[in-house]
Amino acid sequence: MENKYLEISKKIQEESRKLLSEGKVERIIGFGRGEFTKEITPIFVSDPDRADELLFTPECDMMLAKYLLDYKGSKTGIVAKPCDTRAITVYLAEELIKREEVFIIGINDCEGLDDNDACEECGIRNPVVVDLEIGQPRKEEIDPEIKDELEEMTREERFEYFQKEFSRCIRCYACREACFVCTCDECFADSNQPQWVGASIGKRDNFTFHLMRAMHMAGRCINCGACEQACPEGINMRALTKHLYRVAKDVYQFEPGLDPEEKTLFATYKLNDSEQGFLD
Amino acid sequence: MAAKENFEPKILAFLCNWCSYAAADLAGSSRMQYPPQIRVIRVPCSGRIDPFLLIRAFNSGADGVLVSGCHPGDCHYLDGNYYARRRFLMLKELMQYAGIPEERVNFTWCSASEGKRFAAIVDRVVARIKEVGPWEGFDGRGFARREEEMAGGK
Repeated sequence: MENKYLEISKKIQEESRKLLSEGKVERIIGFGRGEFTKEITPIFVSDPDRADELLFTPECDMMLAKYLLDYKGSKTGIVAKPCDTRAITVYLAEELIKREEVFIIGINDCEGLDDNDACEECGIRNPVVVDLEIGQPRKEEIDPEIKDELEEMTREERFEYFQKEFSRCIRCYACREACFVCTCDECFADSNQPQWVGASIGKRDNFTFHLMRAMHMAGRCINCGACEQACPEGINMRALTKHLYRVAKDVYQFEPGLDPEEKTLFATYKLNDSEQGFLD
Repeated sequence: MAAKENFEPKILAFLCNWCSYAAADLAGSSRMQYPPQIRVIRVPCSGRIDPFLLIRAFNSGADGVLVSGCHPGDCHYLDGNYYARRRFLMLKELMQYAGIPEERVNFTWCSASEGKRFAAIVDRVVARIKEVGPWEGFDGRGFARREEEMAGGK
C-alpha cells in the first residue's frame, strides 16, 4: 500500500477510536478487509477496539452513503469520499437524513478509483459537506468535460445502440442496489399495482426499465458510476443518466449534490424556465 | 409493418381538467373539425402526469403522446404546470437521446378559451406523427401482429 493511503488509514483509525470512545457516534461506517476474502468491503465498527480494522485504499469503490438510511435516528460516523459527501448532500437536500445525525469523516484530494470511468469526469475532489477532514485539500480546481461518446451518432444509430445494450440486461437490479439515489420504499420495477414495466427479460421491457430508471435519476444522479461498476453485463449504464445530468447543467444550471440547502431539480421551478422543444 | 399511407396513429392526449380539457370541449361544442386519432385522458393537472405514464404509453403501443396543461401562470393549483414543465423537458431530452423521434413526444399549453388552438394543435400533432410513421415498439417488432393475434385468438 502506498504511503499516502497508509497515512489516511492511520488517521481514520485514530479519529474513529476517539469518536467511538468519547461516545460522539454510535458506529462508524467505513472500509475494511472482508472476513474471508480479504477484499475491501464495507464494515461497521461500534467498538473502539476494532477501529484498527478501518482502512482506506484505492480499491474503496463502494458508495457507503446509502447505509446511512438504515441508521436514521442515531448518530453515525461515515468515512466518505468526495462522491459520498455529494450523495449525503442529496439526502440532506431531500431531507432523508438529518445533518446532526451524521458525522462525516471526509477524505480530501481524491484521486479517483482504479476501475471507474466516471472518476475521470468528476470535478469534485474535496468533500462537499464535512465534519472532519483528512489529508490536505486539493487547491487547484478542475473542470473536466463530461464526455458524450454517442453524440456523433444519428438518432437511429443511438436507438439501435441502446436496443443492443439493453437487450443484454438480465434485470438483476444490481444497478438499483448500488445506486445511492434509489431509495424508494417500493421500486417501480417491483410494483405490480400499477405494473409500470413487465418483470421478465425482454427487449421491450428492458428498454422501458432503463428509460424509467434514467427518468427517476434525473436531477439526483451525481454521475458517480456505481451503477456501471455494479452491472454484471457491462452495460453502458451511465449513458442516459449522464445525458440528463448534462441537460440539467446546461438548461437549469443545476448540479445535484453540491449544496444541501438547494432543492433538487424537480422539487422547485423558476418562472422563466426553458420551454425548448414545446409546441407553441 | 403497417402501410404508411393508411396509417391511423393512436395518440394518447393527457389533458388537464381546468384548461386543455375545457379547450377540447369548446372545440367540440363549437363544431370545429380536427383529426379523430387522439384518445383523451383527463387528469386533474399537468403536474399530476408522471413521466412514467408516457414511457408506459410507448411500451404499450401508443404511436405518440400529447400533454397539454394550462399556460404557465394560469394553473388552477397555482404552480402544477411549472413543476410539469421541468419534468417534461427532461423527459423529452431523454426520449430523444434514447432514439425515440421527438415528433412522438409533444407538450403544449392550451387555455379553456382556446378551442381553435386546440384543434390546430391536434392537427399538427397528428401530421407530425403521420410523418414519422407507426411506432414499432422499443424492440422494433411492431404492434400490428400482436393486435392480430389478440383479435384472432391465435
